[in-house]
Amino acid sequence: MDLSLDETQQQIQDSTRDFVRGACSRDTLVKFDKDPAGIASGLWPQIAKMGWMGMALPEEYGGTGNSLTDVALLFEELGAGPVPGPHFSSGVLCARLLLEAGSDAQKKKWLPQIASGERVFALAATEGHYGWAPEYVRLMAAKEGAGYKLSGSKAFVHDAMYATDLLVLVRTDEGVTLVRVDARAGGVKIRTLEGFVQSLAEVTLDKVMVGPDDVVGKLGAAWDAMHRTMLQTVPILCAYKVGGCKSVFEMSLQYTKDRLQFGQPIGKFQRVQDHVIHIVNYMDAARWTTYEALYKLDSKQEAASSVHMAKSVASEGYMRATDYGHEVHAGIGVSREYGLTLHTKMSRSLYACLGAPKDHRRMMERSLGLVS
Amino acid sequence: MDFAIVDSPEQAAFRQEVSQWLKENVPAGIEHSVDPKDMSYEQYQLRRELGWRLGKKGWLYPSMPRQYGGGDLGADQMVVLYDEISKLGWSLPPYYDAGGRMATPTILVHGSEEHKNRFLPPICRGEVRTWQLLTEPGAGSDLAGIKMTAIRDGDHYVVNGTKVYVGSSHGADYSWTIVVTDPKGPRHKNLSWLMIPMDLPGISVTPLDLLATGGEGGSGSGVKNSVFFDNVRVPAENLVGGENNGWKVATTHLEAEHGGMGRLADRRVIYDFIAYCKERRDGVAIVDDPAARVELVELYIESEITRLFALRNHWLSTSGKPRSYEGSQYSLRRKLSGLEISEKMLRIAGPRVLTTDDKCGMLKGMVEYFVRDAITALHPGATTDIQRVIMARRMGVGRAEKEQAGALR
Repeated sequence: MDLSLDETQQQIQDSTRDFVRGACSRDTLVKFDKDPAGIASGLWPQIAKMGWMGMALPEEYGGTGNSLTDVALLFEELGAGPVPGPHFSSGVLCARLLLEAGSDAQKKKWLPQIASGERVFALAATEGHYGWAPEYVRLMAAKEGAGYKLSGSKAFVHDAMYATDLLVLVRTDEGVTLVRVDARAGGVKIRTLEGFVQSLAEVTLDKVMVGPDDVVGKLGAAWDAMHRTMLQTVPILCAYKVGGCKSVFEMSLQYTKDRLQFGQPIGKFQRVQDHVIHIVNYMDAARWTTYEALYKLDSKQEAASSVHMAKSVASEGYMRATDYGHEVHAGIGVSREYGLTLHTKMSRSLYACLGAPKDHRRMMERSLGLVS
Repeated sequence: MDFAIVDSPEQAAFRQEVSQWLKENVPAGIEHSVDPKDMSYEQYQLRRELGWRLGKKGWLYPSMPRQYGGGDLGADQMVVLYDEISKLGWSLPPYYDAGGRMATPTILVHGSEEHKNRFLPPICRGEVRTWQLLTEPGAGSDLAGIKMTAIRDGDHYVVNGTKVYVGSSHGADYSWTIVVTDPKGPRHKNLSWLMIPMDLPGISVTPLDLLATGGEGGSGSGVKNSVFFDNVRVPAENLVGGENNGWKVATTHLEAEHGGMGRLADRRVIYDFIAYCKERRDGVAIVDDPAARVELVELYIESEITRLFALRNHWLSTSGKPRSYEGSQYSLRRKLSGLEISEKMLRIAGPRVLTTDDKCGMLKGMVEYFVRDAITALHPGATTDIQRVIMARRMGVGRAEKEQAGALR
């Protein structure tokens, strides 16, 4: 047993941390929060050229073949921002889904461009009747010649507004099927959802044609690939949340020293101390469940139960950590200038992404053998 | 990152050695009582016998230096040894020896060479058993507020006062005891540690009637006691770590007690409980109820997070990594999650978790004891509130300086 990071991981952590401190200072991120257009025009080009989008891909497809733990450590640091953008959607989720389900020709065509950042993929899986299970995929694909015609809507699509390409889960006669759609094709409309939400969109498809080359994997077999991809990528999303918790912890801890009330730092009050203790407890629970899941995946062990647990713990933990951060910060915490609300919003927006805690806990019933 | 408790070839060979040794050396007739209070004197003697055999091998206090009767085992071997011992349902030592567990690291850090040579080998070889005496009727969380005095008189200290929630069934040879050596001295600068032989005149022990023994004392503690000291003359050379330097010495003791070392033993009752819920009796099983399944998964997650914190602390302490709030965080979590788990057990399985009855209860009363013990376990080794206070100081909440964790070997 050795829970320390190796040299590569240390380097990934250091260089990402430097990047986040430089290009994604709190002021910069607050600016993007007010003007999200800057994410695509200002931030993404910088991220794309870091080589990070190929980390989760093998060398033969233009990647660097890193372990999932390596990739997770990158995302932990990005989560500390929290750095917005399609890095997870494209470089991890869609990259790994294509790797899992795509033909060799499709992988050769799309993956190197994902790795270089030239193309940005987003996954349109969920719909208005929301859920991350095959029964929630209801958009029908109508057979049309050698391909399909799509009409309908996908909702709560993360990062669609940044995408050049969409991977869309649809229903064909055979079952759930995955297709690629050009995000800028006629008939595709991407509408950013407004509110207390980070980078979510509705994608409406109006008679959008999909050729046979854009059907990814076997007809009706997409959910199997999706499920395998979720198991591999969920812990990386969890690591992003761990990074978020860390940032909330650091902000809150600093504030207990700086803020004076009743003539002393508020951290002298045990009620306030308790809030910080809650944050660090949520952070460490998320961290170690996530790390253990990554370790099991990288060492090719049975990991389903650990992955589901990590998602349940990290999703709840990030949200609760921000709650306690607000208890510490009071008024200043809800000022959009201050930056804590970036995490508050992110923790909510990612809460149910790739399955809500209740869904993962239900899946654990199976992996623990409570249901046959 | 490597979480594996997968054996290296050296570890596999060592595991083989340990398991073979245990097969040959665990005394015949040794049994586990569900409630440690029920451990008979004969059973206690068998455990001491096992401890003595382990001690001869250097495995009773495996991390201690060999010259003081330990085994000088590195982290890799310790993991294996603890694992094999816990498979048989024991911790090390296999009997209550909290004074020994806390005093050995403390004496190693703060004792004189003479102290190390005199006190450590008998403890490490299992020849003596030692209680720890801290709490008093008027001083629980506020340990520095103790009143028991030890006043120098020639070559002796004369000890007077009362300690409570002490020890175990079947007595002890020594008491590792914090006392006031300067009643007029300033707080934190008036305390000292004494190793008190329990056969000195003037010591009397009275058992307490408690709900359970609770938590962190090691295996088989049995009853807790009040210990009264009436003009007990303790040789002055039994004072360890310097007169009036006891608060500093206590930092090592308390770090060990507050969970800084981490524990690897699984709480078997939790896995047995889950297995019980899956079992089908008369065609029905507890897991047929969807609400019970929801609670069971939450119970499992509670237990897993606690296991991971223990694993992390074990790694931190055995690899010599810097520690901060982690010891108290684990202790806090262990206490609160134990309580939470015990209540989930009640929600899931109803009153059968509350009885030791053979017919109506479950798992031979193991769950009944767990449910009772989880409540008692909230306070030993510092209350949840004190653990939070320590965490806050270590993290530096509201203060520029972070308090340092006590030295562990």
